[in-house]
Amino acid sequence: MPAHLEVVAARKAFRTPEGGVMTALDGISVKLASAEFVTLLGPSGCGKTTLLRCISGFETLDSGDIVIDGSAVTQMPAHRRPVNTVFQRYALFNHMSVARNVGYALEIAGKDKREIRTRVGEMLDLVGLAGLGKRSVSQLSGGQQQRVALARALAGKPKLLLLDEPLSALDKNLRQKMQQELKAIQRELGIGFVFVTHDQEEALTMSDRIAVLAHGRIQQIDAPSVLYQRPANLFTADFLGESNLLPVTLGGTTATLADGQTFATPHPAGRATLLLRPEALGFALPDGPALSFTGRIAETYYSGKDHQITLQTPAHGSIRAVIRAGGQSPEIGADLTLHAPAIGLHLIDEVAG
Amino acid sequence: MLRRLLSLYGLLFFVFIYAPILLVVVYSFNANTMNMMVWSGFTFDWYRQIFGLPTSITDSTTYVDSSAQLYAAIRTSLTVAFSTSVFATVFGTALALAVARYRFRLAGFYRTLMMVPMIMPDIVLGIALLIFFITIGMNLSILTIIIGQSTFLISYVFVTVSARLAAFDTSVEEASADLGATPMQTFRKVTLPGIAPGILGGWLLAFIISMDDLVITYFVAGTGNTTLPIHIWGMLRRGIKPEINAIATLMLLFTVVIAGVGLYFRSRRTK
Repeated sequence: MPAHLEVVAARKAFRTPEGGVMTALDGISVKLASAEFVTLLGPSGCGKTTLLRCISGFETLDSGDIVIDGSAVTQMPAHRRPVNTVFQRYALFNHMSVARNVGYALEIAGKDKREIRTRVGEMLDLVGLAGLGKRSVSQLSGGQQQRVALARALAGKPKLLLLDEPLSALDKNLRQKMQQELKAIQRELGIGFVFVTHDQEEALTMSDRIAVLAHGRIQQIDAPSVLYQRPANLFTADFLGESNLLPVTLGGTTATLADGQTFATPHPAGRATLLLRPEALGFALPDGPALSFTGRIAETYYSGKDHQITLQTPAHGSIRAVIRAGGQSPEIGADLTLHAPAIGLHLIDEVAG
Repeated sequence: MLRRLLSLYGLLFFVFIYAPILLVVVYSFNANTMNMMVWSGFTFDWYRQIFGLPTSITDSTTYVDSSAQLYAAIRTSLTVAFSTSVFATVFGTALALAVARYRFRLAGFYRTLMMVPMIMPDIVLGIALLIFFITIGMNLSILTIIIGQSTFLISYVFVTVSARLAAFDTSVEEASADLGATPMQTFRKVTLPGIAPGILGGWLLAFIISMDDLVITYFVAGTGNTTLPIHIWGMLRRGIKPEINAIATLMLLFTVVIAGVGLYFRSRRTK
C-alpha cells in the first residue's frame, strides 16, 4: 500500500525558559498507509504531541520532512494542509451554533449553503447528534462537545485526521463507548487516523499499529499484539502492560535464569532479558517444559475476575502474576509456587540496569 | 451587636459615597432660587433654563446666557469623545493583540510602557502635550484635543482588551486555521467575536473618560474649542448656581446609560 503520510527524519528542539534546549523530536521517521489507525503512545514529554502539531502545521520542524499523499507539506502553513485535528479540549467556537461549528471548514471553503447544510446533517448523523444543530455549544455535555469536535474535523473530508488525546476528559464508560465509535467511524470513512494518547489500554484497543515514543524517538512501531507479546526493548516491555523482566545468560541453545533454571531458546550467546507477562503464570504445572517460581505472597488483590499476586522470591525479587479467580484463594504470607510454560518465550536484547 | 455595627458601617460607607451625587440630583429639581441648599418645592425650571425654554425664574440667578454656548460645548465634547474613542480602540486593540500574540524582545517592557499613561499625573501629561504642540508649531484646536486624549485613552483600551485576550483560549484560533481559515479569516470569524466584549467595553470606557476629561483637555484646547467640562468649569468660576445641578444630573444620566449599554453587551456576549 502506498504511504499516505510520511515523516522523514523529523527533528525539533525547544528552548526552555531556563535557557536550555529540550529535544522534542530526535530524528523520527514513520510511514502511515491510507486508512490506517496509528497511535502515538508515550509518557508525557515524549514528543508525541509535538509530532502531531508538526503534522498539522502548528509547529515547524527544525529539519526533516512531512509528506502527505506524495507532496511535501513541511513548509506549508496549517490552514493549507489537507489534515484536520480533534483537539484535546475540543476548542469549539462558543459563539457559534453546533451546525456552524460543524460546517466551519465548508463555510471557509466557500461552499454554498445547501451543500453545507446537507454535509452538516450527515456529520451530525455520523456522530449521533442528529437534530442538535441549532443548539449552542455551551448547552452540550462534555461527551456531546467531543462529538461536535469530531464532526467538525471530519466535515471538510480531510485526507488524514489527527486526534490529540481527545478522550482524556471523558469519564471511563463514555470513554470506552467513544473508543469503539471512533474505530467504527474510521473504518466507515476509510481515512487515516493519527491518535495521540498516554493511555496504553486505549492504544491497544483501537490501533492498527502503535508507535511507542520516548525521549523524542520511536522505540518501536508495530501491531498491538506484536508490541505486547514481542516488545523490542525494555522500555516498550515495561511501558506497555505489566511485565516481569528477568535477566538471563544465554549459552547458544539454552538460557539460564538467576536461580539456575534453564529453557531452550535459539537466541545467540550473550546476556538478555526474559519477558514474562503476569498472565503467563499459573497455579498448575503445564505439560512440557516449564519455569517455576517459589516464594512468599507479599501482596494480593482480588478484582472479581482475577487475583493479582506479588510473589517475593529469593532469586528474582518480586514476581507479579495475574491468575483467574476460582479455586484456591491466595493469602498474604503463604508460600506459593507458580509455573509458566517455557515455550516461545520472548527475549529482549538488553539487560536491565 | 457587632453585626449591627458592621451593618451601620456599611450603610454609612455608601451614604458617604453616594449622598453628594444624590443631593445634586435632588437639588436639580429644587424651586428655591435664592438659596439652592434649602428645599422649597419641585420644579423642572433649571432643565428648561439650560435648554433655553421659558421658565418662571425672574431674577438674575442664572448663568446660561444662551443655550447655544452649551450646545456648542456638548457638540465639541461628543465629536472629541467619538473620534478619540474610535482612534484609541483601533490602536489599543492592535497593541493588545501584538503584545499577547507575538513574542518579541522587550515585550514585557512595552506592556508596562502601555500602562504608564494611566498613572501619569494629568497635569504633567497636559503640560507636556502643550509644550509638545507649541514646539512643533501646531495650533491648538479640536485636533490637538483628540491627539492629546488619545495618548492616554489608548492605554485604557489596551488594558481592557488585554484582560479579555488573557482569558481567550488560543486553541480556537488553531482550530480555525486547522479547518482551513487564513489568518485574516480566523481573526474576523473567531478572534474578533471572542474579544468583542473587551473591545466594546474599552471603547465605551474611552468614550466616557473622554467626555469627562477636564485637566488634559484644558491645556491642549484652543480658545475656540470648549468641551462640556471646560464650559462647566467656566460657569463655576462665576459662582455655584442651581442650573449646575441640572447639567450634572444630565451628564450622570448619560454616563450611566453608556455604562449600562456596555455592561449589557458584556453579559450578553460572554454567557
